[in-house]
Amino acid sequence: MKTLPAKTALAASLLALLPAAAATTYPLTLTDDLGRKVTLKAEPRRIVSMLPSTSETLCAIGACDKLVGVDDYSDFPQQVQRLPKLGGLYDPKVEQIVALKPDLVLVSKYGKLEAPLTQAGLTVVAVNPETYDEVFSKTLTLGRIVNRETQAKNLVLNMRREIAKVEILTKNAARKPTAYFEIDPTPYSIGPNSFMGVLLTKAGARNIIPASLGDFPKVDPELIVKANPELMLGLSRQQAAARPGWSGLRAVKTGRVIELPKELRTILSRPGPRLPQALRGLAQLVHPELFR
Amino acid sequence: MSLERPAAASTPRPWRLGRTAALVAVLLAAVVLAVGLGSVTIPPAEVLGALGRGVTSLWTGAALSPEDTIVWQLRLPRVAMGVLVGACLAVCGAAFQGVFRNPLADPYLLGVASGAGLGATVAIVAGWPRPLVPVVALAAALGAVSLTLALAREGRRLPPTRLILAGVVVGSVLSAVSTFLILRGEDRARQVLAYTLGDLGFSGWGDLATVLPYALAGGGVLLALGRALDTLGLGDLTARSLGVPVERLRLLVVLAASVATAAAVAYVGIIGFVGLVVPHVVRLAWGAGHRVLLPISALAGGTLLVLADLLARTTPLSQVGVVTTLLGGPFFLWLLRRGGHE
Repeated sequence: MKTLPAKTALAASLLALLPAAAATTYPLTLTDDLGRKVTLKAEPRRIVSMLPSTSETLCAIGACDKLVGVDDYSDFPQQVQRLPKLGGLYDPKVEQIVALKPDLVLVSKYGKLEAPLTQAGLTVVAVNPETYDEVFSKTLTLGRIVNRETQAKNLVLNMRREIAKVEILTKNAARKPTAYFEIDPTPYSIGPNSFMGVLLTKAGARNIIPASLGDFPKVDPELIVKANPELMLGLSRQQAAARPGWSGLRAVKTGRVIELPKELRTILSRPGPRLPQALRGLAQLVHPELFR
Repeated sequence: MSLERPAAASTPRPWRLGRTAALVAVLLAAVVLAVGLGSVTIPPAEVLGALGRGVTSLWTGAALSPEDTIVWQLRLPRVAMGVLVGACLAVCGAAFQGVFRNPLADPYLLGVASGAGLGATVAIVAGWPRPLVPVVALAAALGAVSLTLALAREGRRLPPTRLILAGVVVGSVLSAVSTFLILRGEDRARQVLAYTLGDLGFSGWGDLATVLPYALAGGGVLLALGRALDTLGLGDLTARSLGVPVERLRLLVVLAASVATAAAVAYVGIIGFVGLVVPHVVRLAWGAGHRVLLPISALAGGTLLVLADLLARTTPLSQVGVVTTLLGGPFFLWLLRRGGHE
């Protein structure tokens, strides 16, 4: 369901690139991820980003110096760390955002920032990459918004190239292990169509979660025991072994239960320019033999 | 048949053996269904075989196939935990409604659930190892009840109204602290929510063995207090004149119910509705005498939770607490309306 608009958006962004204009022409009118029509009168010069992935993308396309404030969780690259922190999704500091006099605020489509900021006369655009494809289409969208189209296009090309380098290795892997990826011990896992699910498949693993369960399903432990995966990611072997009926599972017995390093966990949860690194990190865990 | 006088009868109502036998049959059928069905389909013959191999593996230590493991180590303890916790919550709810003479009383009245919730939230947000979560929750649940008792105490007395008010305030304050922590530790919000809604997913034999003593001790005390609760239903003064030590009885019920509820909530989360509604349903069908109400509530609570958990793991509803409330609510209203027309 979600892929259709995503693909349309991608196609639209690519079409927009066709004239290959290096410069965006303003005023620029676009429909954002909340379905609102927004017009930018001129190239934004004072931007507030309220999503870590947006902050990363802006910096990766050479618009880092336009940022005047970010959300609490934006911590990459280093340049954003000294910017004013403006709260999170649930507790944004609206007054501080307004006081910074930004000419553009980029928000998540979740949360309630859009209404008060628009009321305060600010230009607000919701940009929220959620699927794998959207990571690229939204990068191009951001490029258009901040007049960095060429850089955005180059970033996307680079990312695709880096991803291809990993995929060449994993595609030809002799054996693709069946894998269970745990995002929290409730347990929640990831479906193959989710952002992380696509990366897991590209990393050369066979996800045991069927697409029919959805993108971020709560999984009945029975299913995991039945699937008896060869690899478990996102929890420790000790944790897995302590669960009822799990100590005899293949992954637990062979020791292929791997906790994700903190850095990898962060970039896996951030649909932004470090996606190729996330894929490489994941692929190294799934297929250590390919990266010696 | 009226909800406003939960403990009116001083003479025990008949057991209504036909209805009791039917309830026992439904409970057994629910257990059989719940062990036989699940998100993984296993044929009935295989389930029986798995049970046999599970029992023998206790002696031989033989490794079980994934299907056998599912039946023996996942489903069976999960179903047993459902019966135990459902029974516990319903008995505690019935006892609370009796001792407070309040139809809105449930086992969470004195802050047990908010305490457990806060303990679990702290443990989850701080990222402590998962096996520690129920331990912290249990300690916090008992701590919360102790706080409520300390705040409500008036000399040597525990006036019911003060208890209820203190419980509500302690519950609200602890919930507010939990909410604050959840919002601070944003990325673990869903884990906390899943705990809060109750889940039997990872209830193994070990958890069952941990909860069992608390449940038996707390539930056993309550079941033994049926006659005293009936007398208390006549009012404090009358009960006292009949020789019931009202203050000690109230404290004993509160302690016993809290211990049992705290253990249940700590290990399976905060399952709503069972403790509130099951006693009312039982009262509609069996009458209000506690010597019958308490044990029948245990049977009915166990049945409800096992069935709700079966639905939770075989349908997209996925969370047992959601099922109990979503299906239990309308069912109760229907019963209530039917009762009204009689």
